[in-house]
Amino acid sequence: MTISDDQPPAEAAKPTASKTSSTVSVDGPTDEELLLAVGVSQDRQAFNQLFVRFNKRIFAMGMKLTRNEQLAHDLVQEALMTVWTKAPLYDLDRGTAQSWIFTLTRNRCFDMLRKKKRQPQTVSADDIWPQESDAEMSFVHEEQGSQAVEVAQIERLYEHLPTAQQAVIEQIYILDRTHEEAAAALAIPLGTLKSRLRLGVAKLRTMIGVEQ
Amino acid sequence: MTAANFHPSDEVLQQFAQGTLTTGMSVALSAHIELCTSCRNRSSELESRSIMAWLQEDEPVAAPDFAGLAERIMATPQLNEEPAKDKSYASEEDFPVAEIHMLDRSFTLPRVLARAASKGLKWHKLAGGINQAQVQIDNETQCEFLYMTPGSQVPVHRHQGSEVTLVLDGAFEDQFGHYGPSDFLMRDKRDQHQPSTEEGCLCFAVLDRPLKFTSGLARLFNPINNYRFRRATSQRF
Repeated sequence: MTISDDQPPAEAAKPTASKTSSTVSVDGPTDEELLLAVGVSQDRQAFNQLFVRFNKRIFAMGMKLTRNEQLAHDLVQEALMTVWTKAPLYDLDRGTAQSWIFTLTRNRCFDMLRKKKRQPQTVSADDIWPQESDAEMSFVHEEQGSQAVEVAQIERLYEHLPTAQQAVIEQIYILDRTHEEAAAALAIPLGTLKSRLRLGVAKLRTMIGVEQ
Repeated sequence: MTAANFHPSDEVLQQFAQGTLTTGMSVALSAHIELCTSCRNRSSELESRSIMAWLQEDEPVAAPDFAGLAERIMATPQLNEEPAKDKSYASEEDFPVAEIHMLDRSFTLPRVLARAASKGLKWHKLAGGINQAQVQIDNETQCEFLYMTPGSQVPVHRHQGSEVTLVLDGAFEDQFGHYGPSDFLMRDKRDQHQPSTEEGCLCFAVLDRPLKFTSGLARLFNPINNYRFRRATSQRF
């Protein structure tokens, strides 16, 4: 079934989860504060709180997707392990803590099921739902379009970006360096480079969209 | 290239966000979303709704006791950068098949398709000027790249399950419409159609069940078609 572009406007789309809608209604640190504390200072108490807030929900998602108690149980372990090990890579421009945890749980679950069904290892959940460089990829593809953005236009708009983002974009799109090389050249962590790149490209896209 | 005119339904986008589609279908959706800004936005909106629903569900009463698990997890060292596997994403050049070359043009694949084709593509000629290269993505669907040479026509066929076609380059048409780059079509068993192309067309297609040709000599292809599908899915039916 396909629908064409002139579909009716989405009915009153709710804004995405905000910090006010934390998983627990009692006052206390938000999920984002806890996750940042886990990532920045390996805060064990913060992790324990996240664990309490999310383990049953992750189990519920596992039951819904796998209908298998053992797999759902394994999912709790794998997903929360990922929350712990990847917390240093989380920052606020990756969205809310809840959406970060939801997507990593869904991805782990998808891969667990693929493994159980003995599917070939051609693509993984992280290929299907890429977290990194979404903005870059779509940027590249839209450039090929008939609304191709002129290089001169990009150069002009690029001047309006914050210096830090300009530097990153210069490394990647002008000097054609890899992410690793660019991070080394600028002496910044890879994660910082990627988030600046993502922000910079997103901002350029917005500016281009506004101009046209 | 213009923006896509045919898109997945909200229902399908929602299932995609929740991770309940087959891997093959998910790959087709992921590729369309990379190519289509409006579906990218729609998809993240639907994902947000799924997240809200997930957070608002009642917690299960019968959830097991995970005593001690948090402590065991925290004994594991944390990561300071994306795991090594992600390095393969850093450069498209790492993929042997990042581009598909056709008669006089070439097309850069969306990332997930480059990944799916990373073991190389073996093209086979089928009837009517169609070239097919299967990729093994899961064991529930048949996934393939199809290249219809200019002026070619697929025999009339009906679908037993659903078929998703993502147009990558060029265009084709059938009695329901004209489809160009990034268009996403889903056909089910009610639809019988006969695609044809003037300018040539490169597609990525995902079939839940094998095609059944319904006209003339093409019927002869059915046993082969079934056989191919069985091989592709290692299933019997």
